[in-house]
Amino acid sequence: MPELLQLLVVVPLVAAAMVAILLRRSHRLAVRYVALGASIISLLIAVTLAFQGPQVQQFAWFSLGNYAVYITTTTATLNMMLLLIVAGITPLIFTYSIGYLKVPSEQSRYYTEMCIFAAAMMLFAISANFIALFIAWEMLGITSYLLIGFWQYKPKAQAAGRKAITTIIIGDVAMLVAMLLIWSTYGSAGADAFNFAYIISQPATTNLYIAMVLVAIAAFTKSAQFPFTEWLADAMEGPTPVSAFLHSSTMVKAGVFLIAVLLPIYAELNLLYIFIIFGVVSALLGAMNALAEHHIKRILAYSTIEDLALMFIALGFGSVYGAMLLFIVQAFYKALLFMSAGSIMTANEDEEDLFGSFGASKNRILLITTVIGALSLAGIFPLSGFFGKIAIDSSVSGLPALYTALVYAALLTIDLASSLYIFRWLFVPLRKPPLNKVTELSINYRTLPKSMLIPPVILAAFVVGGGIVYFFMPGIMAGVSMAAPLYLSVSDLSIYAETALVLVGLFLAYRLYAKGALAGFTERHKALYAALFNEAFINRFYLLFTSAVQAVAKAVWYFDHYLDMTIVGLGMGVVEISGGIRRVENGQVNVYVVGFVIGLVALVLIFAL
Amino acid sequence: MVFPIIGLSLLVSLVSALLIIVLNVRFSRLIAVAGSAAILAMLLALLAVDLPTGTLAVAESYPFVTAFNIGLDLNLNAITFTLSLMATIVALAAALAGNPEKAREKAANMLIMFFEFAALGIFASANFFIFFIFWDIGVVVLFFMINSLGSANRRYASMKFIIYEIFASSMLLLGIILIYFYTPVNSFNIQYIQAHAASIPLGTQEIIFVVMFIAFAVNMPLFPLHFWLPDAHTEASTQGSMLLSGVLTKFGAYGLLLLFTTLPIAGKFAIPVAILAGFSAVYAALVTMLQHDIKRVIAYTTIVDMGIILVAIAALNPFGEYGAVYGMLAHGITIALMFLVVGCMHHIFGERDMRIVKGVVAKATSTAYSFLLGTFGITGVPLTAGFIADVLIFIGAMQAFGVYGALPLIGLLIIGAFLYFVINKSFMLTNESSESIEYLGVSHKVGYALLLFFMFLFGILPSLLLGLVKL
Repeated sequence: MPELLQLLVVVPLVAAAMVAILLRRSHRLAVRYVALGASIISLLIAVTLAFQGPQVQQFAWFSLGNYAVYITTTTATLNMMLLLIVAGITPLIFTYSIGYLKVPSEQSRYYTEMCIFAAAMMLFAISANFIALFIAWEMLGITSYLLIGFWQYKPKAQAAGRKAITTIIIGDVAMLVAMLLIWSTYGSAGADAFNFAYIISQPATTNLYIAMVLVAIAAFTKSAQFPFTEWLADAMEGPTPVSAFLHSSTMVKAGVFLIAVLLPIYAELNLLYIFIIFGVVSALLGAMNALAEHHIKRILAYSTIEDLALMFIALGFGSVYGAMLLFIVQAFYKALLFMSAGSIMTANEDEEDLFGSFGASKNRILLITTVIGALSLAGIFPLSGFFGKIAIDSSVSGLPALYTALVYAALLTIDLASSLYIFRWLFVPLRKPPLNKVTELSINYRTLPKSMLIPPVILAAFVVGGGIVYFFMPGIMAGVSMAAPLYLSVSDLSIYAETALVLVGLFLAYRLYAKGALAGFTERHKALYAALFNEAFINRFYLLFTSAVQAVAKAVWYFDHYLDMTIVGLGMGVVEISGGIRRVENGQVNVYVVGFVIGLVALVLIFAL
Repeated sequence: MVFPIIGLSLLVSLVSALLIIVLNVRFSRLIAVAGSAAILAMLLALLAVDLPTGTLAVAESYPFVTAFNIGLDLNLNAITFTLSLMATIVALAAALAGNPEKAREKAANMLIMFFEFAALGIFASANFFIFFIFWDIGVVVLFFMINSLGSANRRYASMKFIIYEIFASSMLLLGIILIYFYTPVNSFNIQYIQAHAASIPLGTQEIIFVVMFIAFAVNMPLFPLHFWLPDAHTEASTQGSMLLSGVLTKFGAYGLLLLFTTLPIAGKFAIPVAILAGFSAVYAALVTMLQHDIKRVIAYTTIVDMGIILVAIAALNPFGEYGAVYGMLAHGITIALMFLVVGCMHHIFGERDMRIVKGVVAKATSTAYSFLLGTFGITGVPLTAGFIADVLIFIGAMQAFGVYGALPLIGLLIIGAFLYFVINKSFMLTNESSESIEYLGVSHKVGYALLLFFMFLFGILPSLLLGLVKL
């Protein structure tokens, strides 16, 4: 079928997944090269598609009478951008995995799930209607559940997987309701009522309003925004390449991207403010927890929540431009940082505590790439992160002065906080190791496999050069047919304020962590620490919610049980009564005669009186 | 003379059942598999012939009491063909997988084929007279399936089942007799009744509707008439549960579909019925959360899914109607898979309490992953048949009831979350794992594979069946 051309991108990965299942017993280690090869083929197809220019393709999946349900794909500008990011990062992740995951027995399971995960994200990237989107959406949720709970012997990993899937199911149901509600409102014979472009062209109704709120909830669950933040932090229980993939280009980016595509509808319905509100709350939460967290990967996870929240804020101001700029550059620096974290953990023998990690300077490649990543996240000129940050800061406009000031203040606070936590994250593992560990750590760092060092170098090149995107962005965005502003007027104020705050953060982090001025800081400021490290409160809120549902369920169960017992009891009662009556019918003539006489007397009495 | 496909299918199932009785136990499973495979082959051949033309209509008639116009009137259309196909797939899978309990194989296979006979008959029946006969055959067969093949508490469960079902049967009979006497020319013929139901007085229609609704609601089952189901499903043998939940509950659902498409008065009851059905779904989902026995968990999910199907039927529009049919297909196949998996798990570990069974994936990988895939099917993940059903059902429900039509999805949300909880507790976490006392036989894996194949086939290529629909 020629109209399926675009789906070709996902085919190699699905095929690789199949191979991984079939190869189980005999050639376990060959699986990784099959997967890597498939991902490179996908990348080549994606690049070819990019050169062909935008095109929409549609095929009827099934139909009921005249009503057809289509799978529609597009390679419009935004979609192509996401597809290239995903297709580009996938081979790097797979390369990194070769060095990272050494257990032979788990190879096929790992690559099966990873291939489907990557394929799902590519399908998501090219989807132009809700059906294609929903297929990808659910596959992303399921595979991420499996990958987060990949270490099946770890209770924490399994619990994290369950937390993720439970949160994601809420989003899935919201999404399903939204898309079917839209269909039942706008569907007509022959039209592809799931198509985004079609929906954008329709008049707004109450049903559309409800559906779009549900889509926003679904996007918040996928992108781990308040109040659905916690699954993403727990997801760090998965293997590190999974985290790198999950946080850079797949899964969590899906929510932001979907909102970016559907932004004209939100603008029409005046719903943009919800992204600003929830974005600001999530960004502050993420930054606070990242400052207080000790787990080397969870710091980065909270940082991702914050980055995504910044994108939502930009979208809330109608600036697809700013959101997408951060979207692109964040993919590279976050993948890089996760790979660094994985390497540091590997060298420190899977130590997860930031303060238990040492000696990251022993490996020069690791050191340089990590520093580039951290500087980019903080937003230092001319690394790509800088452009992302100022694009977000400059998006704030159009609200009453008070609100603008508040949001702007929040954004500046986040600039400072993110600089502080990322340099904390950088400086602490750089410390000199204790004497008894020096030799061991040097060996570990020097013997890190090449496959774990080459992908970060490539990513670092993108991080350094990625700032160029800022200058291409107007060209890229010109192809996006949206009412939202295409250009961004970057104010000088943003640039200076941002740079100054980042440098302050750098200085503070250097004083506190590299120079060790922090000794006893958390003990002295317990209240501050508790306020910053508030993930426990959110988890308690989840517990409260689930136990409320459980209480209702228990009440219903008691009702069900006693109703059943009552009905069974009634039945037993009938049996008892019949047992009593049956005793009369015992075949003895004298009993019958007595009965006959009593009856006769009764009859006579009745008729006589 | 056209090839008499329905009559032949009925004959094959009946003859297989009788042959199993006569021949040695060694052949019983072979005959059951061959019989149901032959029927499946015939149905698939019919599909292959009729799909290109887009219409499927087979009618056969074997009259026997001409005075009352009663006979073996059989017909198949897109709806009944789908249901017959589902029943045959489930019967084949049950026969092929074999009984994990390995007890009384001859009786089990015989009952499977008798039940296949009843199921084919009920879905193909063109008049209410044989509809009722096949209904009772199915109920009685499953009574024996529970009563003689079930586990420890089987007598209590089977008596409970038969009392509820006999109550339903008597209601059904009453309804059928009422219809017979109030149609202009006394008739059992469903098509004729559908054409002339408008001439039945409104008051009588109401009585008929209520009486028959109760009958079908017991079978479906619907709150507050569902109490037989958890016990029956828990105590029945694995094959019994597969047939019970996969096919028997569809008798009621199909009956309700007939009822709603037959009586014009049904429109008046649509909203109360939809409310009751949605409530039933959410209610059952909440009760599921308190269960520890995994088989009981699966049993309660049946009530949730059947509630959702009834919402679709009550929507009274094409999407609802075909969504309900597709939902029955998807649910029949998926739930049979789930019961087979749980039965095998019980067989392997000797226990099916989620607090006791741990780490299934370490000892029985295919069982654990089949359970996971079955969960995807129940929760309606795309590419499984359940997704197509959900799409059609909820489009229909929301066209009829607005956004309130989506409320039964809360039930699906709860059982989805709870099933992942079960998977987490018993299946995927391997830090401690129960000792296995048996191995999984190859035949059980074949059973998983067959059901999974059809679950994904009808999820990926829905036009195989929806291509037959003419609106």
